[in-house]
Amino acid sequence: MQATRRKPGGRLQGSFLYRDNTVGYVFAAPFIISFLALTMVPMGLSLYYSFCTYKIAADPVWIGLKNYADLMRDATFGNSLLVTIQYVVIGVPLKLIFALLIAVLLTKPTRAQGLYRAVYYIPSLIGGSVAVALVWKQLFGSRGPIVTLIKALGVKGFNFFGSTTWAFVPLVLCNAWQFGSSMLIFASGLKQISKEYYEAAEIDGANAVKRFFRITLPILSPIILFNLIMQLISGFMTFTQAQIITDGGPNYATNYIALNIFKEGFAYQHMGYACAQSWIMLLIMAAVTGIIFKTSSSWTFYES
Amino acid sequence: MKKSIVILLTLAMLCTLFVPALAEEKAVGWNNVNAEGYVYPDYSGQTMSIMWWGSDTRAKITEEVIHLWEEKTGAKVEFEYYDGSTYWTQFQAKMAANDLTDVFQMGNNWLTYYETIEPLNKYVESGIIDTTAIGPAMIATTVNQANGDITGISNGTNARCFAYNPAIFDECGVPYPTLNWTWDDFASACRTITEKTGNPAVTTLEYNSLAYSVFTQWQEGYNFYTMDGTGFAFDDDTAPLAFLFELLTELQEEGAIADYGIQNEIGSNVEADWIASGEAAIMMLSSNQFQALSNVAAENGIELELCTIPRVSPDGQSGMVVRSSQQMSIWKGSEKKEMAANFINYFINSIEANKILNCERGVSINSDVLAALKADSEKTNSVTAKVYTIIDTIGSFADAANTSPAEPAANEEISDVLKKTYFQGLAEGKFESAQEAADQFWAQAQEIWQKHAQ
Repeated sequence: MQATRRKPGGRLQGSFLYRDNTVGYVFAAPFIISFLALTMVPMGLSLYYSFCTYKIAADPVWIGLKNYADLMRDATFGNSLLVTIQYVVIGVPLKLIFALLIAVLLTKPTRAQGLYRAVYYIPSLIGGSVAVALVWKQLFGSRGPIVTLIKALGVKGFNFFGSTTWAFVPLVLCNAWQFGSSMLIFASGLKQISKEYYEAAEIDGANAVKRFFRITLPILSPIILFNLIMQLISGFMTFTQAQIITDGGPNYATNYIALNIFKEGFAYQHMGYACAQSWIMLLIMAAVTGIIFKTSSSWTFYES
Repeated sequence: MKKSIVILLTLAMLCTLFVPALAEEKAVGWNNVNAEGYVYPDYSGQTMSIMWWGSDTRAKITEEVIHLWEEKTGAKVEFEYYDGSTYWTQFQAKMAANDLTDVFQMGNNWLTYYETIEPLNKYVESGIIDTTAIGPAMIATTVNQANGDITGISNGTNARCFAYNPAIFDECGVPYPTLNWTWDDFASACRTITEKTGNPAVTTLEYNSLAYSVFTQWQEGYNFYTMDGTGFAFDDDTAPLAFLFELLTELQEEGAIADYGIQNEIGSNVEADWIASGEAAIMMLSSNQFQALSNVAAENGIELELCTIPRVSPDGQSGMVVRSSQQMSIWKGSEKKEMAANFINYFINSIEANKILNCERGVSINSDVLAALKADSEKTNSVTAKVYTIIDTIGSFADAANTSPAEPAANEEISDVLKKTYFQGLAEGKFESAQEAADQFWAQAQEIWQKHAQ
């Protein structure tokens, strides 16, 4: 394609304004500018601060690797990593299985299909909001219906949020309940699968379970990969529910890493130390997604 | 022509030079808003801003007072308010952006935000903030003892204390708390009540401040933090803490104190405490929260009383102190400092304004205001009277002056760690003994202190 376009008048030939790329840059400019200003600059700053002691509104003081060295022997931070990984390992598969299950059920063409999809998407619309967290706090709270039910079954003194073993369960469920966006992506993926495969398999005598595992899952695997990565990232960054519902407790049982970073930075005034934690978290997330990408070629299947 | 203009301008400038000199000659108490015929300053067309934290009740009455002042001065006041924990996040974000409000509510943690605060000494000395009806001891509650800076003007005094439901005590045959009831009395009351009602007797405790109180009670001369907040003051003696660890953990295991999940659910929202719904019998609070708590309790037909914090020994120190509950401070970067000072003057001193505020932020430090409120039976009902009484009682304890109210910059982290790592860790069996937990806490507290000292 020609790099410049001839205007009927011909005078502005070759002018910057009339290059094809310019239009692209202009339309992309709001994103590029905000990405640079609101993401890259703060990231660069936080990397710098992670090598400093820094209190908001005071001057940062360079201390080299001390923050990172301190992190290595910080039991609270270690625990935060551990409970975050626990949350991700249990929560993400649960959410994806749930989303896929509902998506498969909703591919059966019924008249109310659109309605069902909308209904199941609603929890994701209200998303990670404070209001939802408050509702779950009530629902699973010491005087909420679920604990009342458990107590009625004869378990004495049970309380989700008072127990280091059980406190994370409502949080994981709350996250899994908001499966809507993964479900929509799965649903659109399912639609792409050609019916011919299923018909051929049926003729060959494959039952529904076999068809699901031999046809649906392999063809859907690139979409599973995408959803897995997205959910892993958001799982590692979980914050609102833990802050509102449990405040990280009891005894740090739900003190997820984002919450720990927030406390270090804003409550305890160790902003540099908090920045160092963010970078460790970024490295861990990058490593995990990297490993998944690397291994994905062995378990994802691309049709063409 | 030109010469005359120059002369005029010079004269005008000279005049302005005399203004401060004239101001100094103003009579003491010239800015007393309660004086007859007081003329409010004219701030027509000018805007200032203010932020605070607190309940919806507080928001409503504060707004009302702001509108009153706007009407009187022609000023426009932009305001914003948050709940207790969001407030500090907002505060820090604004602090980082160098865009705080002209006036802001500040806690006893002012040392943490010291660089944002304008010392009010010159406004107090010049009388813009009229302190003629405020005792020096009350001014001192918000003064940085290290350099004499007045960091703000107290919105009122409060004290940490306990509230209890006498009806439950009667029902269970437990004697009411006395002014010098002990931790043993407290423990046996909790045990009996829990045994008879089947509910935890206590649902809210402020663990860190209880621990600090026990340090003071333990031995004369002990405090957790020194009076001026520049260090610790208990000679490395961790026995007081081990004592409290053991007692509270035991009571919680027995179910007499609510588990940490329930306590976290209630959080800082006193109105949600189980005592208000008649299930719990005892809770800990700051005295100025008693009005809000009593309002909710009254809806359930419950009348509550206030009492002191239990002591280590009946004739030992109380470990209690009347302190500033919170204060109004002026932002160092404000361009409206004089206007802000005038607003604070009205907010703290005006009888009319305080009839609306009615000590919700703490017992007024202005003696004229307090007298007017007490004389007004509509404002001083049985609930507020109880608050006045407990504050007077604690203030009259001979040892109240020995109790340090300091909250150094490291306190936020130290108190959080004390509660989450040690109290909650003990409940989870993470330590061999209460003494071991106390010793480990002390080691960590010193480490945290070092981090903040850097």
